[in-house]
Parts: sequence; C-alpha cells; structure tokens
Amino acid sequence: MSGKDKKENGISWNISLSGIFTTLVTFIVLVTSIAVMLIFIRIYRRTMEENAVTGSEQTIVQVQNTLENYTNDMRSVMDIIQNNITEDGADRDEFIRGLVKVRSDVVAIMTYDERGNLTDCWSDGRETKEKWLKNLSYIELTKNGDKFNITKPHVESLFVDYYPWVVTLSQRLTDYDGKEIQVTMDIRFSNIANYVDDVGIGQHGYCYIIDNKGNIIYHPQQQLIYSGLKEENTGNLQEGTFVRSNVIYTVHTLENCNWRIVGVCYVDEMITAKVEKLGRLLLIILSLVLIASFAVGWIFSKLFSKPAKNLADAIGSFEGNAEHFHFKQVRGTSEINALSSSFGHMVIRIQRLMEKVREEEVILRKTELKALQAQINPHFLYNTLDAIAWLCEGGRNQDAEEMVNSLARLFRISISRGHELIPIKKEVQHAESYLKIEKFRYKNQFTYSIDVDEECLGYLCNKITLQPIIENAIYHGLNRMVDEGMIKIGIHQSGEDILFTVEDNGVGMTREQCSEILYRESGDRTGIGIKNVNDRIKIYFGSSFGLMITSELDKGTCVTIRMPKVREGEYSEK
Amino acid sequence: MKNKKKITLVGIIIALLPCTLLLSGCGKDEFLNNKKDNTSSVKKYQVALITKSTNSAFWKSVYSGANAASAEYNLNLIFEGPENEEDYETQNTMIDQAVSDGADAIVFSAVDYMANAEAINRAANKGVKIIVIDSDVNSSLVSCRIGTDNYEAGCTAGKAALECGSPVLHIGIVNFDKNSENGQTREKGFRDTVAKDERAEIVASINVLSSTEIAKEETMKMLAAHPEINIVVTFNEWTSLGVGYAIRELDMADTTTVVAFDSNVVSVGMLELGEVDALVVQNPYAMGYLGMESAYQLLNGFSLDSEEVNTSTMLVTRENMYNEECQRAIFAFDKEN
Repeated sequence: MSGKDKKENGISWNISLSGIFTTLVTFIVLVTSIAVMLIFIRIYRRTMEENAVTGSEQTIVQVQNTLENYTNDMRSVMDIIQNNITEDGADRDEFIRGLVKVRSDVVAIMTYDERGNLTDCWSDGRETKEKWLKNLSYIELTKNGDKFNITKPHVESLFVDYYPWVVTLSQRLTDYDGKEIQVTMDIRFSNIANYVDDVGIGQHGYCYIIDNKGNIIYHPQQQLIYSGLKEENTGNLQEGTFVRSNVIYTVHTLENCNWRIVGVCYVDEMITAKVEKLGRLLLIILSLVLIASFAVGWIFSKLFSKPAKNLADAIGSFEGNAEHFHFKQVRGTSEINALSSSFGHMVIRIQRLMEKVREEEVILRKTELKALQAQINPHFLYNTLDAIAWLCEGGRNQDAEEMVNSLARLFRISISRGHELIPIKKEVQHAESYLKIEKFRYKNQFTYSIDVDEECLGYLCNKITLQPIIENAIYHGLNRMVDEGMIKIGIHQSGEDILFTVEDNGVGMTREQCSEILYRESGDRTGIGIKNVNDRIKIYFGSSFGLMITSELDKGTCVTIRMPKVREGEYSEK
Repeated sequence: MKNKKKITLVGIIIALLPCTLLLSGCGKDEFLNNKKDNTSSVKKYQVALITKSTNSAFWKSVYSGANAASAEYNLNLIFEGPENEEDYETQNTMIDQAVSDGADAIVFSAVDYMANAEAINRAANKGVKIIVIDSDVNSSLVSCRIGTDNYEAGCTAGKAALECGSPVLHIGIVNFDKNSENGQTREKGFRDTVAKDERAEIVASINVLSSTEIAKEETMKMLAAHPEINIVVTFNEWTSLGVGYAIRELDMADTTTVVAFDSNVVSVGMLELGEVDALVVQNPYAMGYLGMESAYQLLNGFSLDSEEVNTSTMLVTRENMYNEECQRAIFAFDKEN
C-alpha cells in the first residue's frame, strides 16, 4: 500500500504492515466470497431451472384439465342439442333458444342440410343478414372423418352489425326423418380467455392455445398478434417440455379434441434477473468488506504501524542530532508504549553521558593548557641567560639589570598565581618584557611600538596571548629579513569586544601557511603555539572569538585577536 | 492489551460479515421479490392519450392498443379527446390540463396541424415527452411520430379507384377538415395517383365537418350537382359513413364506386352490401400500442429505434374481406363483446 524504493541491488518492496494486513484481509475475503457466491449462483441457477420446468409443467397440466372440462362441457351441450334436434318436438325451438340465452358464450347454433344450406339458426336476439357474402361458420365435414370438429377462430359473419370472433363446433348427425344434417355451434372465447389470461408461469410467462395445425385458437395477446405487433412461434412444437433459446416451452395436447396448450416462460427472465440481483448483492458485500478492511487497516495503522514509524523517525532524528534531541512519548499498543518509554530513558541517559564526556574533555584540555603554560621554554631561558652573562662580561651592567628584570617580570606574569585570565595591563607588560629581551638578543634588528587604548587596560584577557604571536613574528617574519623589522601592537575596543592586533613588516606567509599555523601543534622549540592561543580563547569565550591571520608575501603579516570585554569577577573560572 | 483485543474483535466481525450476508442471501427470494414490488409501485409514469375524438371505432381501437401497452409497461393511462374532430381549442385545454395534472408524456393526435403547435411546444418545454400518432402537429419538439404513411394510404385509395372498370372515371372527393395534416396528405397521395390515369377526372372536391350527418348531406348535394360522378373517395371513418349513407339513400350502390377509410361494424356492413367498394384500413390498435410503448421507452431513457414509425394499412374489398388477414385487420378481437 505504500510506495516502493528502488535500491541498487535489485528492487525491494517497502510495504507497511497495515498495508499488508489490509491487502491480505481484502484478498482472502474477496476470493472466498466470490468463490462461495459462484458456487451458490450455480446451485441456485440449476434449482431455479428445475423449478421453472416443473412449475411450467404443473401449470400446463392444470390448464389442460380445465380446458378438457370446458370442451367436455361443450360436447355435452352438443349432445343435448343432438337429443333435442332428433326428437323434432314442438318445443325444440324453445329449448335451443333457451340454451343460447343461458349460455352467454354461445353466439349461435345452426343446422345445415346435406348440401350445406342453412336450415335453422338460433341466436340471442341477433338479426341475421338478408344475404351474406360468406358463411364462415360452415365447414364441410368429410363423411368418414371425425364427427366432431372445432375450427380455428373466425369472425361471425351472419349477423347485422355484429362481428364477434368465434370458434365453431360442428357435428354430423342424423335427423328424426333419417336425413344427414350438420349442427354447428359458434362459441366466443370469453370463458377460456379469462381463464387463460390469468395463467401465469414465472414472472412474465403465459400460455396459449393452438390447434394441431399450428393456428392460434386463443392467445392472451391475440390483438397484438392480429395487429402484426407480435409474433408467436407456433410451428414445430413437439409434445412435452423443452428449452429453446432460453425459453421453456411446455406443450400438451387435449385428449378430447385437437387443441394444444403451449406454456411459455423465460429462463433468462426468471433466473438471470435473480442472478443479477445476487451479483449486485455480491458487489455490496465486497464493497462492505473493502470498507471494513480499510477500517481495520486504519485502526491497525493507528495503533501499531504509525507509532512504530514515529518511533523509527524519532530514532532517526536522534541519530542525526543527539545533543539537542527532545523525545516525545509515542502512544500506541502496549508493545509500542514499552518500546517508546525505554527509548525515552535511553535518550536521557545517552544525553547525560554525552554531557559528562564533554565536560570532562574541557577540564582535561584546560589542565593540559595550564601545564603547558607552566612550562618554560628551556632554549629561550638558556639563550637569555647566555645573553645576560655576555652583557655582564662586557660590563654592561645596566643592560644586564634590565634584562634580568624583564625576565623576572616575564616569568612572574606567566605564572600569575595559576590564573588563566589576567588584566590586559599585565599582558601588555608581559609582551613588552618579552620584546625587550628579544630586542637585546637580536641586537636591535627590529623596533616595536605598543599602542594601547587606556580604557582597555582594566579588562581581562587570556595570559600569554600576545607573546606566542610576537615570537612567531620575530622567528618567521623578521629573522630572515635584511632590513630593519617593525612590530606594531595595538589593543582597541570594538563595540562589545576588544581587538588585539600584532602587525609586522616581515616576509609574510601564503594563505596555506596562515591556516597551517592556526591548526598545527607547536614543536618543542617554540613554546606555546599560536594554535594553543586560539584554542584557549575559543574554549573560554566560544567559537565566535579567536585569531584571524591576514598576510601578504614580502609585505608582512597581521594577526587580529578578538576577545569579549570581561572584567574582574565577571568570568568565573570553571 | 486492550487494543489488541479490539483488533481481534474487529477481525472476527469482518470474518463473520460475509457469512451473515450469505446466510441472509438464502432467504433473499422473498426479500428481493418484496423489494421489487415496492419499487414498482413507487414509480408509475402517467401518460395522457389525447385524440381527435373518443367515440369512433378507430379511436376506441387506439385506446385498446394503448391500454394493452399501459398494462404491459405499467403506465397510468388517461384517455381523452374532444367531442368533435374539429375542436382544437378543447384539445389545447386538455394538453395544458394534462401537463398541470403531472403527465410525464402525452400521446397526441392533432386536430389542427398549426393551431395545436403552441400548446404542444408549451408542454414539451415543461419536460413532457410528446409522441404524435395518426395526425401530425407543426412542432420540432415531438420525440416520435407513429402512424399510417398517409401519402401511401392515399395512393392505395387511388389505385383502388382506378380498379373500377368503367371507361371514364368522374371522381368526387369528400375530405374532412382542411387543417388536418393527415387528411390533406392522403388526398394528395390520391390525387397524384389518379392523375397518372387519363380516364380519371376529378370533378368535385369538398371539405366537410368530420361528422356522419354533415358528410351525408354534403355528399348528396355534391352528387346532385355532379350527377356524372361514378367514383366517390373519402378519407376518414365519419366521412366514410356519411358517404355510405348518402349512397344508400340515393340507392346508387351499383352505379357508384366508393373508396373509403377505416372500418367499423357499419362500414363493414356497407362493404358487404356494395354501398362501399373498398376500405383502406389502418392499424389503430398498433398506433395506440406503439405510442404507449414509445412513451415508456422515452420515460425510461431507452433510445427509440426510429423517430418515425409507419403502421401498416390494408386495402379491403368485398372479395377479400373474409380472408383471414382482412378479418384480423377489420374486426377487433375483443373477448368481451
């Protein structure tokens, strides 16, 4: 669920735990529910199909029974007529007229002679036409054929302004005086129609009646078919139940006449529609599952993954910046809480240890530096003492005295009762003593000037700050010169700071040499190195103070020292 | 530990969810059926069928076709029309009334090609679907037109007239309302057809109100003024009856050929007796049925197969009137009558 990282050796997938969880749950539920649904749909479909076939079969058998009853009824009516007609009673007319009146579905009863001429016609008060174009109710029955016949539907064409659709039942029989006559009865559909209309098979299934030649006797949508809006497949229907292009046909033939009943129901409609609904249900379930698994993933992430990630991030940032790291507790599951609080403790312990180490380091350095300061460069001492001895030998007692005084002051200030910070006034005396001694030693090869802002004298500075720089200027700057050297020392205020400058007009240094001096440990010969001075200022006052060297070859070097204004008692030594 | 329990609980619920749904699926047969019944009763579209009149056999047949379709497609059908076939004002009122009664579609047959246009446009602009059957209206907002190809029907009538064997054909035309689009188109088809035969000559042409009585009187006047007329042609159900009665009254059944439109029990009787010699029979049941079917399709957002549907016509004469096909065309199948 989360992004992927490409690494040099192959691809590794960086997926979160909650992502895996969500995907797995979704996948498993998806697969199982789809599988279950498919199996279910299969079984359901088969059952539905079987149900549809048996249902259709049952319905058609019922229709068949009803229609057989109906046709039997018609036959019995025919029998009654037959009995009455052959009797030639005076009340024959009366009886048949009564029959037509009572049976609302009988439109007319007619008799014909051998040649097919209409001899009698009884109807329910309808007026027969004087002449008619065609009598559709008369059918010539073959003598040796079936005695009982039912026609396909036709329009009753004998009455004025009355054209109902009827079927005609015809029967040959013998008259009272031995003549062959034919009796026909025109029947309307109303009874059959109302019954057949109400027969439903499945949701949109229906049934209709055809004769054995495939003519439709009655169809619930007869007028639609007559208007050419609908077609019904009536040919080639074998007896029984069969499925043809997703339609279940059930065909039964009546036992007592040539009518057949066809039941039609749609497999697709009954089954596919329901399967579709099932599919929709499946979709709903799946989306619910998806939502649920996302919710679980979210909860999981909230309780576990996210805190774990937060913890990892915290560890990462601690790694990057251990000193100023502030740990906030991460909340989550109990495991996460335990991890988080242990990590919190660990952070605090590590930070304490680091602090301790740093303090110890500073103390160590300071001790080291103090030890260094306490040291007297033996070469310098020997050379100076040699020079004094040489002055005494030459009888230059005043000079010798001055040298001894200078040396004594130099050492006194160097030691300064072990204080690191001394007043600038003392530092200036220290530098001056050193310059005097060196000037003697170098037989006035250089001159010097000291320019001090009187207000600065009261402030404190690190002891032995100027001396190593002057020493460097003499040994490396002026010593190799042919002309007379010049050292200028200045101490001035610069806002809240004090600037010490030591300038010489010596050979100068390259940029590389300048930086080398600031970072090289001094050798034995040269006492306290410039690096030492710089380090001490930075240790005592911070990294924004210290030395800066600018130099130009054959022109000279200028060393600037920046220090804060510090008065007695303001800086407590650690 | 509490959180962990929560997760397990949620996991169990998730695992059980599909199972419960599946179980409920077993009883879904009833459940889905109930649901279906509910939804079907919720949305039932209302369709107004507004025709030129309501009492002729033609419009009754249109209604019975519409009724069959409304039952099949579960639509509410309201059937109305003016008293006489010239009353476009009442039709316009009916259109407005149907719209304000909340009809979703109107299946319409225009009395007047021009005068009904405004009301139809008004209805269509309110979102009501308009389907025209039988007689057109001058509106571009009609979604679908269903009816007889009137020009072709006129041609059929023309051909039937030319079947007459006499050497000279003096033709009298009895047409109905001049503003009705279908009558004019039929007449044009007829005139174009007979014009191709040099025997034929149209000696008189009248327009009468669409009523049996008036048509009869006007026809008798026309026949009196032009005794040479041996062919009378007329273009709708009412005028057909009028012409038939006129011929009956003048006892001219044997000397005059009458080509008429549409069928009812009376005109079929006339056909049988020879007072009318040919009937051009339309398919009003199909018009009504297809009109409602189109309304259903439009309202449910299905696309129509075609914006113009021509229903069939058939020429029925004395010779073929009891053929199976013609029986089906001229006699409505109605199980109740």
